[in-house]
Amino acid sequence: MPKDLSKPFRYKRILEKEELTQTKAPSRKKPRAQNQSQTLKRLWRYLAENSRQLYLVIAMVIISSVLSLLGPFLTGKAIDWYIVTRKNEGILLLLGGLAFIYVLTSLSLFLQNYWMIGIAQGTVSKMRTQLFAHLHNLPIPFFDKRQHGELMSRVTNDIENVSSTLNSSVIQVISSLLTLIGTVAVMLWLSPLLTILTLIIVPLMFTGMKWITNRTGRLYKLQQINLGQLNGFIEETISGQRIIKTFSQEENVIGQFLEKSGQLKEAGFWAASYSGFIPKLMNGLNNLSFTVIAAIGGFLAYKGHISIGTIVIFAEYSRQFTRPLNDLANQFNTVLSAIAGAERVFDILDEKEEAHNEGLTLPLDSVIGEVEFKNVSFSYEKEGNTVSNLSFKAEPGQMTAFVGATGAGKTTIINLLSRFYDPDSGSILLDGIDISRVKREDLRKNMGFVLQDSFLFQGSIRENIRYGRLEATDEEVERAAVLANAHSFITRMQEGYDTMLQQDGSGISQGQKQLLSIARAILADPEILILDEATSSIDTITEMKIQEALQRLMKGRTSFVIAHRLNTIQKADQIIVLNEGQIMESGSHNELLALGGYYSGLFNSQLKNP
Amino acid sequence: MRTMFKFLKPYRASAAVALFFMLVELAVELWQPLIISKIIDHGIVEKDPPVILKWGAVMIGISLFAFLGGIVNSFYAAHVSQSFAYDVRKKLYSKIQSFSFANFNKFPASSLITRMTNDVTQLQNTVFMGLRIMMRAPLLIVGATAMAFTVNYKLAFVLAAVIPFLILFLAWIMQKGGALFRTVQERLDNVNSVMRENLIGIRLIKAYLRKDYEGSRFGEANDSLKSRTVYVLRMMETVNPSLLFVMNISLMVILWLGSELLPVHGARVGEVVAIVNYTARVTAAFSPLSFIIAAFSRARASSRRISDVLETENEMKDAGPEGDKRISGEVEFHEVSFQYPGSEALILKDVSFFYPAGSTVCIMGATGSGKSSLFQLIPRLYDATGGSILIDGQDLRTYKIKTLRKQIGYVPQEALLFTGTIKENIAWGKEDASMEEIVKAAKAAQIHETILKLPKQYDTMLGQKGVNLSGGQKQRLSIARALVRRPRILMLDDSTSALDLKTEAALLHAIKEYQCTIFIITQKISTALEADTILLLEEGRLLERGSHTELLKESQLYQQIFQSQFGKEELQHAQRSF
Repeated sequence: MPKDLSKPFRYKRILEKEELTQTKAPSRKKPRAQNQSQTLKRLWRYLAENSRQLYLVIAMVIISSVLSLLGPFLTGKAIDWYIVTRKNEGILLLLGGLAFIYVLTSLSLFLQNYWMIGIAQGTVSKMRTQLFAHLHNLPIPFFDKRQHGELMSRVTNDIENVSSTLNSSVIQVISSLLTLIGTVAVMLWLSPLLTILTLIIVPLMFTGMKWITNRTGRLYKLQQINLGQLNGFIEETISGQRIIKTFSQEENVIGQFLEKSGQLKEAGFWAASYSGFIPKLMNGLNNLSFTVIAAIGGFLAYKGHISIGTIVIFAEYSRQFTRPLNDLANQFNTVLSAIAGAERVFDILDEKEEAHNEGLTLPLDSVIGEVEFKNVSFSYEKEGNTVSNLSFKAEPGQMTAFVGATGAGKTTIINLLSRFYDPDSGSILLDGIDISRVKREDLRKNMGFVLQDSFLFQGSIRENIRYGRLEATDEEVERAAVLANAHSFITRMQEGYDTMLQQDGSGISQGQKQLLSIARAILADPEILILDEATSSIDTITEMKIQEALQRLMKGRTSFVIAHRLNTIQKADQIIVLNEGQIMESGSHNELLALGGYYSGLFNSQLKNP
Repeated sequence: MRTMFKFLKPYRASAAVALFFMLVELAVELWQPLIISKIIDHGIVEKDPPVILKWGAVMIGISLFAFLGGIVNSFYAAHVSQSFAYDVRKKLYSKIQSFSFANFNKFPASSLITRMTNDVTQLQNTVFMGLRIMMRAPLLIVGATAMAFTVNYKLAFVLAAVIPFLILFLAWIMQKGGALFRTVQERLDNVNSVMRENLIGIRLIKAYLRKDYEGSRFGEANDSLKSRTVYVLRMMETVNPSLLFVMNISLMVILWLGSELLPVHGARVGEVVAIVNYTARVTAAFSPLSFIIAAFSRARASSRRISDVLETENEMKDAGPEGDKRISGEVEFHEVSFQYPGSEALILKDVSFFYPAGSTVCIMGATGSGKSSLFQLIPRLYDATGGSILIDGQDLRTYKIKTLRKQIGYVPQEALLFTGTIKENIAWGKEDASMEEIVKAAKAAQIHETILKLPKQYDTMLGQKGVNLSGGQKQRLSIARALVRRPRILMLDDSTSALDLKTEAALLHAIKEYQCTIFIITQKISTALEADTILLLEEGRLLERGSHTELLKESQLYQQIFQSQFGKEELQHAQRSF
């Protein structure tokens, strides 16, 4: 016997490990059932926004359901009236009626799906847009803690679950319910006894379904979580190919991948198995009721209580009866999988946005550019301070430079100033206004950034520079590029400014990326300029040339500069030397040299010919 | 599609079990109308109650059997489909790990990610469905038609005439749907791509307040995905109503023929009933069939996308087992030139040099002069397009890529770390590294002290891409990662730019003890001082080389670099001192 045949019995019984579903699910711990029904309600609200179309769909469902009941009824009557009696006058009239019904059935079926697909995809598209928009309102720490691929999975894999469910489930559920009610009514009218016999399967069905869906709900969620983690891992390892390759870690990451993939397989196996039970259970019950009708109905017909036509109709109806139940049960499953997906989308939508400013928000139209840090403390983790009790002041138009060993807190100051993070204590004032009371947008509108990781988008070089000011003309873009010393390398490329950059900005060198970032900042023409290691990957000759442009740009603007090469900051109005998040010394270049402290030591080591 | 069937092969026994039990269920279902007609014709019409009871009992028995069969089917179908998906993912991921960078240029990362999750899920669902119902519907149709023939061939002929047309129609739809679904998946790629870019560039987007701009970019991708999805799905939805209509009309024809045939040819009432029943079953089977067709079209599109990746040829040829050699670290470039795949610009032109094992070589040059490109050739991230690179006197391509890279410690410009603890990130360079080795590497990289100050020290978790570390800390961590493997060739691509001089000097001093050939790309003269030789690149050409003093005397470019860092006076002072 092939070994594989015993495999299905060797999957880990993950359901018995209750804590698995608990620990893997991030933060939120509401009771599951309550959570599920809330998610469902929330999904429904999305659908209900298209109420007019939804009514149309429902109307069509009602029409097609009624018609699908009429069809078999007339068929049964045709047998009773014309075939059993062997008289065929008038059958053509009946058949004509039937044909009309069938046309309407098909038409209403098509229309309900046509509209529903529109509603469903509109909903899904809206969820995606909301998710995307919401992500932009989330604070930076949120992104620092999550894998990109895991978040991407929510947009693709989780929303996909919702999408495929909405396409069919709403219609199915409504039509199933209607068909169910209609069928039972007709059956009762035809023969109450047989109806009751048919209904004996209902309690059986409910017990079975409850048992199954209890499990599938949890398993679907687990499956989506695992899928998200896998997606995250894939994204990270594709982004990190350079490292993986040069370190020959292919086998290692494949191993880790397989582990995650295996977890997904396990959750998937149980979710699929249990959800697979439902149609089987329904089929079994269906067959059972069919038998009951055939046997008992046959007996009754033999006794002459009912006609043979009635049995035929009943046999047909019992299928009509179990089919919607079957569908409902199946839909229940699909809906559960959609809930699992939707929950993960809502999880993100419920993440708290960057704190809105309480009280009055102050408009920042014309910034003078006075910046003051007052006793600012902050840490990324809750323990230990990255910067502590920091106080300094930058006068309008002044250039402030930060110097210090790596990890001294230089970039942190930039993060706080731009409100990527807010301080744990103390305050930062811009023109005397606490920036925590200024809208982030208003604040950043006045700032131009060249950040440590120069990021470029997929698109042309021109578009990438224009990112600094979207309404800039081509001439302005090129002028900025000239100032940033990027013009010459750009024009040497085959398509000049229209050269398309690959995703992640690959295709040009790191230093060239920085030149483009500088051009972008120049184009933005901000009141306050922030340069975090803006020229670290640029050779010193080019750097010197850019310095002139930057000096000109910084003139009359408040600017903050982080640089390791001290010759780029000699002209700063004040240089702040940081050590482990605290100010060690500060002053102008000459003052610090005279002081003979850390800075002068650093400067001499760097600027003395060795 | 064929490639996908290969993935099912290991599970054919399990698949057979699943299919078998599905057939059992089907047989039971097909049998029932026959039993009913027996009950009517022999039990009721001929007034024979025991017949009714006998067949009733039979029906209950086989129903129960079918139910149990269904459960078994479900387990096996789940097993086969999940294992199938697992294997496809494994193959895909392994394939992608074997990709060269030239291959990566062909597939954007976001698309590879969608293919590995979303597309695989589509296939997996189709397989699962296939083992449970897909075969069922066609078999039900064929079976029901055949049974109808045994009952009364004249009436059954109606069915036999209609069904082939319907099947042709379905085949056509499937063809068309497959192509359309492919475009749906491509548009999903686009959505994914904008999303990914936004996640990576979130700081910049926030800094420049480009939320709305990005929103409209996403909106475009999202709308185009939506409109295409709506279009395809609506097209697929025409299938079911059309089929239903045709089948219903057939039913009418059968009724009419039945009423005509009864008086003339003496067809039994039970027979007409049975055939009507079979027709109803065929009709019912077409409805899931149209659903299956949609799924199948989608699976076709997905399987094509997966095959595209699997069939991509890796242009970089690896050497055989004889290439599994230790190296000493001697490096020679012989008239090496290089251009990126798909680009005409020559990045490196005729670069030649030779350095014995243990040398320290600095590479300097303007931004975009080809320094990093030159670096990438040594661990064979790309192959040189002209000339040859020799290590220990033998062509780079005679080494097994894995063996070669194992002996190279490469620290790229962008310090890239992975989700995990600091310890794990350092041990990345050498899986079996002991704690001692890790600490030693961290000490040499001047990061040990910093790590000890962290709350959980070596067990501190790093966020995505190590964001909660400063730039310099990340750089040092990735240097430690390279050192822990005790490489024969160490390559630092401007990896000390964020370090202050003191730390840098200590670091360079410490790595000298590792006794390997060291290549350093740097902008700083102070770093270059540590080197035996300095290579000056200009626009892809090796302009000059020599020691610091030699270059200071002879090279104009080097003098300019010196001046840019130390000023004119220092330059003159330095030159005088020779």
